[in-house]
Amino acid sequence: MTQLIINGLIAGSLAALIAGGLALVYGVLGVFNMALGQMALIGGYCTWWLHQIVGLSLPLSIIGGLTIAAFVSWIAFEIFINPFYKRHRFLPLVTTIALSMILDGLILLFFEEKPRAIMPGVRHSIEVFGARISIEQIVLISFTIMLMMVLAYVLHSTAFGRKVRAVVQHDHAAMSLGIRAPLLHRFLFIMSGVLAGLGGIYLGIDQNLTPVFAFPITIKAYAAIIAGGKGNIWGAIVCAYLIAILEQLVVGVHWFGSFYVPAGYQQTVALLFIILFLLFKPAGMFSTKTRSA
Amino acid sequence: MKRLLAPLFALGILLSACTTPVDDGTGPIKLGYIGPLTGEAASYGKDTLNGALLAINEINEAGGVNGRMIELIAEDGRCTGTDAASAAQKLVNVDKVVAIIGGQCSGETLAAAPIAESAQVVMISPISSSPDVTAAGDFIFRDYPSDALKTKAMAGYFKKEGIEKVAAITENTDFAVAFRDALKENIGDALVFDEVVEPGTKDYRSLMARLKDMEFDAFFPNGQTPAAMAAMVQQLREQGLTQVAISHDVAQDASMFEIAPDAVEGLLAIGVPAVDRDSDFGTKFLAEHGEAQGALFFAAQAYDAARLFANAMTEVGTEGVAIRDYLYAVSDFEGVVGTFGFDDNGDVTGMSYVLWTASNGAFTQGEAVPVN
Repeated sequence: MTQLIINGLIAGSLAALIAGGLALVYGVLGVFNMALGQMALIGGYCTWWLHQIVGLSLPLSIIGGLTIAAFVSWIAFEIFINPFYKRHRFLPLVTTIALSMILDGLILLFFEEKPRAIMPGVRHSIEVFGARISIEQIVLISFTIMLMMVLAYVLHSTAFGRKVRAVVQHDHAAMSLGIRAPLLHRFLFIMSGVLAGLGGIYLGIDQNLTPVFAFPITIKAYAAIIAGGKGNIWGAIVCAYLIAILEQLVVGVHWFGSFYVPAGYQQTVALLFIILFLLFKPAGMFSTKTRSA
Repeated sequence: MKRLLAPLFALGILLSACTTPVDDGTGPIKLGYIGPLTGEAASYGKDTLNGALLAINEINEAGGVNGRMIELIAEDGRCTGTDAASAAQKLVNVDKVVAIIGGQCSGETLAAAPIAESAQVVMISPISSSPDVTAAGDFIFRDYPSDALKTKAMAGYFKKEGIEKVAAITENTDFAVAFRDALKENIGDALVFDEVVEPGTKDYRSLMARLKDMEFDAFFPNGQTPAAMAAMVQQLREQGLTQVAISHDVAQDASMFEIAPDAVEGLLAIGVPAVDRDSDFGTKFLAEHGEAQGALFFAAQAYDAARLFANAMTEVGTEGVAIRDYLYAVSDFEGVVGTFGFDDNGDVTGMSYVLWTASNGAFTQGEAVPVN
């Protein structure tokens, strides 16, 4: 059981990084970014390239990978989001699908089809309460949780966070108060790309990167933000962990002492989770009643 | 006018799709290729395509088939049935190829087979090993042995080594599931852990946690791709499980060592004997295309398939039925991978298996694993 929870934390941290960024963008810009999984892969692949091929140290490679992820997100915003999202909020849905296909092609072109691991080799596992976890995984999980806390602090206790929340509540009202909403949009989109890139690096260190992995990443992040409630970053992060732990429990638990759920149903859990939420609590798990005009 | 043109255009496309392929006897002979050129299984595609190209270039340099050059038209099957089916449609109806080398993944071959069959276009699959390919059609051949045989060899190995409890994780693809089913027929209840996961899954940790609480003698990572298989073995070893891991030749891929060098150490694989790097084929392939992305024998299988087609067309011409009958009569073709022929189902005869062991970043060939 402990092992299953730990497994859930490992998978959940990955999902939380990506869902957190997605929630920011969806909450503030109201934009669906379908290329998020590809952005995660780009962060991961670039880090792999810098570390394994160029031979930089791991921290430098991670910084490099994130810089490239930020740059790609910025370009993506200027070309695929910015010209469209004010016109209609569903337009970027189409443009980012196009973007995801372009990025898929670029990833294949630059990094080939082979699976890539940023740190190949067996992890040095330690036993905690009868469960095994590697040092690398402990670092990854604690780093993710710390990062989320910093994000929380920035959003809730700084002037910058207040501006973001103001823009979330009402774009135009915030602008009339002198907050430069368009600049903030751009910044947040790049931030989400960086967070996704971190997710990709996480994946590349913990498992391995393959070009086809982008879509499942995107889907899980969407499951988390829908279940968490629109624009609710905390909801998204908590739900990312919740879905991951559920996925582990569904397959790993000997239900009623008599049967196991076949592993093939594991991925269905995330999607069932969305459906159940939309049925019983359409506004999401952590939604609060907001006034609207 | 525009209103009229659109349906006419559509009708035109439909009609052009209905005509049967005809080779007019002049110009280059068109040969089709279907394989995963992109996606997770692309290393199979790259190697087999290069192998086929090597053979065709050699044949063309030597004057072609009765003076006609061979032109290879490659289509991406992406290791999926739907893509392979549209690739086959295009090759058969648009390019009107004489024969097809492919598919590579069993899912590709099975999806392309009915299309080739109905158009009477012969297919030789270089590396599809699913037992289902045996009955895929009269025009469908393969020069790689069926997994039905390999599972028998594997069961024999378990018996010899005293392995009584086998734990398997299977990727939900045509190839891997068929292999699992065939193995189960041979070892029955000895398969004590038998889970099927969706293709592309990377997180097997909940299953490993379950394995930790049970008794088993051998772990069988039954993945469609090296990426999945490496992740399975890595996560098994992370849990401190030290049982022997044994698999089929998907494991024999160079990328396994790049992803999980330590975990892969000691992994066993039952596969066909190696293609000699110093052989005539080996030196030529390495000089022209460099190191194989997956394994040299992938390329050798496709090379032999292409040479077989060339032989057939030299002897009996480019008509589908004639090529088919020629291939059924082959009993001792001297290929790069060995001397082989075809049985009544278009399955290869005369191939054998050996046990491969992963050590120090490479697989080394060991004892023979008999099928009985």
